[in-house]
Amino acid sequence: MKTNTSNPAKPTVKVVLVEDKPAVREIWCKLINSLPGFACVQTCASGEEALRLIPETNPDVVLMDIFLPRMSGIECTTRLKLQLPKLQILMLTAAEDDELVFMALEAGADGFLLKRTTPEDLRAAMVDVLGGGAPMTSEIARRVVESFRRSNKQKSTVRLTTREEEVLILLSKGYSNKEIASQLSIGTETVGSHLKHIYEKMHVRSRAEAVARYITSKA
Amino acid sequence: MFRYKQLLRHGARARHTWLALALWLGVGWGAMEAHAAPGETGANGNWMLEATNHLGQWIWDTNTFDKQTCRFWKPFEIPPKAVVKKAILHLTVDNGYVLFLDGNEIGRGSDWRSVTEYNISLLLKPGRHILAVEGFNDRLEAGLIFGLHIQFANREPMDVVSDDSWLVVPATVPKWMAKKQARPDWHGAIMEGPVHHHPWEIWPIGLTTGPALQPVVVHFWQTGWFQLALLSLLLLTLAACFRLWTQLAMQARSQKLLQAERIRIARDIHDDLGAQLTQLLLLCEVGQREQPKDSPAQIQFNQLCVLARELSCGMDEVVWTVNARRDTLRDFTSYVCKFATVFLDATPIRCRLDVAPDLPDAMFDLPLRRNLFLAVKEALNNAAKYSSATELFVRIARAGETLVVTVEDNGQGFDPDKLTGERNGMANMAHRMGEINGRCEVMSAPGAGCRAIFTVPLENLSTRGWFNWHRRPAATALEIS
Repeated sequence: MKTNTSNPAKPTVKVVLVEDKPAVREIWCKLINSLPGFACVQTCASGEEALRLIPETNPDVVLMDIFLPRMSGIECTTRLKLQLPKLQILMLTAAEDDELVFMALEAGADGFLLKRTTPEDLRAAMVDVLGGGAPMTSEIARRVVESFRRSNKQKSTVRLTTREEEVLILLSKGYSNKEIASQLSIGTETVGSHLKHIYEKMHVRSRAEAVARYITSKA
Repeated sequence: MFRYKQLLRHGARARHTWLALALWLGVGWGAMEAHAAPGETGANGNWMLEATNHLGQWIWDTNTFDKQTCRFWKPFEIPPKAVVKKAILHLTVDNGYVLFLDGNEIGRGSDWRSVTEYNISLLLKPGRHILAVEGFNDRLEAGLIFGLHIQFANREPMDVVSDDSWLVVPATVPKWMAKKQARPDWHGAIMEGPVHHHPWEIWPIGLTTGPALQPVVVHFWQTGWFQLALLSLLLLTLAACFRLWTQLAMQARSQKLLQAERIRIARDIHDDLGAQLTQLLLLCEVGQREQPKDSPAQIQFNQLCVLARELSCGMDEVVWTVNARRDTLRDFTSYVCKFATVFLDATPIRCRLDVAPDLPDAMFDLPLRRNLFLAVKEALNNAAKYSSATELFVRIARAGETLVVTVEDNGQGFDPDKLTGERNGMANMAHRMGEINGRCEVMSAPGAGCRAIFTVPLENLSTRGWFNWHRRPAATALEIS
C-alpha cells in the first residue's frame, strides 16, 4: 500500500481498540499497526475497562465495537465523551444497522465503520475525523434530517443551519462530499466540518433531551 | 255465590282476559263489545234471548263448597263432511272459569252475572272435539251454564249444552283439558236447574262478545323440527366459527414462531458465521500486509480478501432477508439505497437517491421486500452492464396505496422490441413482480436512457397495524441488525 509519509515529523496517531473477542482484537491491532503513522497503543476487552484505561492513555482515536458484553459500545461512548469531549470515537459494526449507528452517533460517536472495511478506508476514516471532518452515508444523512425536523417540531433548542441542512439533503440524495462542495461552491473540507458540526449538534441535542427527560421524570 | 261484586270492574276484567286470549291466539287485540243492560232490571233484550236461547242447565259437582275448583269435561263430534257455518258458544260459571277447546285455552271469565259469547266458527272442523271448563266457586252456590249452537251449511244445526253428560275430572289428573278420552273414575255432573233457577233468577245482566276466534296457524318456522334444524344449524355454525378461530389462533401462533425463528436464524448467522468471516477477512488483510508487495503470496492473499469481503456482503444480504425485524418499509428503503450506492460505487455511474419523506411506517413482508429488492438489483445490474450511463436515479415514493420504486438511468437506452436473449433479466423482473401482485414497466428508447418502474401494493396500513401489532418485537439497542 502507498505510504503516507508526507510529513515524517508528524507524531504517530495513538489508537485504542475496544473489542471483546481476543482473537479479533489481536488482528485489528496488527492491522492498525501496519498502517503508517498509526499505532495501536492499547486494547480493551470491555466498556468498563475502556472507561478505566482510556483517560490515562489519552489516545487520539478510539475504535469501539458496537456490541460489547454488559456495557454496550454506545453507552461506553456516551461516558467517554463526557470525560474527554475531544476524543474521536469511531464505531465498528459488523453489519450496517442504521438505527444502531444513529444511536451511536447521537451518543457522541464521530463516525462509524463496517468491520469488513478495507484498511485503506479505515485509515481514511481516521484521518478524516482527526482532520475535523466526519464521514456520513446518505442513509444516515436522511435520518439526521428527519430527526432534526421532528425535534424542531418539539421546539428543540438545537437546530441545523440552512447550509447544514442543504449539505445533509444533498448527501441523502447520494452526492459525494466533493460533488456537494462544487454544488454549494464551498471547499470539500468545509463540507466535512459542516458534517462534524452536525454530529456535535446531534450529540448536544441527545444530551439535552436526556437531561430534559431526567428533569421531567424527577418532577 | 258472591252477589255484590263491583259492577265497575267488569270492563277492565273482561279486557284483561281478552287481552290474554288475543295474545295467546296471535290474532292481535280485538276490541270487546260489552252489551250491558242500561240497568239491572232491563234484562229483556234481543241480546238476552240470543244469549239464553241455546243454554243448557246449571250444573256442578256432586258437592259444593267455598273456594272450590271444579273441572268439567265434555266431548262432542262434528259429523264428517259437515261444513260449520257458525258456531256460537255462551258460557258463565259462578264465580269464574277458564275455557279450553281441544286442550287450548280460548277464554276466561270472572263475572258470572254476564254471559260471555265466543264465536268459535273457525275452530271447529269435522271430528271429535273436547270442551273443558275449569270452574271456580268463591263461596256459597256454584254453577256452570253452557250452550254451544252450531249451524252447518249442509246439515241441521246442532247444540251442545251443559247437562249431566258432562264429566267432572278429579284434581289429580294432569293435562286433563287435553285428554281425548274419559277415564272410568270421572263422574257425571249433577244438574241444578234451568237458566233462571234460584239463585240466578235475574241472571244474566249483560253479554260480552268478541270477534271470531282464529285458529292458531302454525307457520313452518314455528314448528318444532324447523326450530330444531335452525338450532342445529346455529350450533354447527358456531362450531365452525370456533374451529376457524382456533385455526386462526394457531396460524397466528405459528406465524409468530416463524418470526421468532427467522430472527434467531438471522442472529445465528450474523453472530457465528459473520463474526468468523470478519475475522477471516482481517487475517487475510494482515497476511497480505506481511508479504512483500506483488509477491505471489500477497496477490493470493488479496484475492482471498476480495472473496471474503464478497462473502461477507452476500451473507449480510441473507441476514437482512431472513431477519423478521427487517420486515418494514423503512428498512427496505434504507437497504435498497445502501445497496445501490455500494453497488454503483464500483462502476462509473453516479448513484442518486430520491426517497420521498412521507413514506408510511408500514410492514413490508419477506416475499414483498425480497422480490422487489431482487427486481431492483436486476435493474441496477442491467444498468451497470449495458447502459453506459453516467448517472442513475433510484426513486422510492408512495402513490396512493402503492409503493413505486423507479430505477432510471441516463444511458444509451435500447429498443424494447429488439431485446436480445441476453436481457432476459427483463423477464425475471416481471416474474418477480408478478409473484407479489406488483407491476413492472420498462421504458426505454435508443439514446433516451432507461426507466424501470416497479409498483407494489402497500397493504392496508390501519388493519395491518391492528393485526400485526405484536409481530415486531421492540428493537433494543443491542440486538443484531
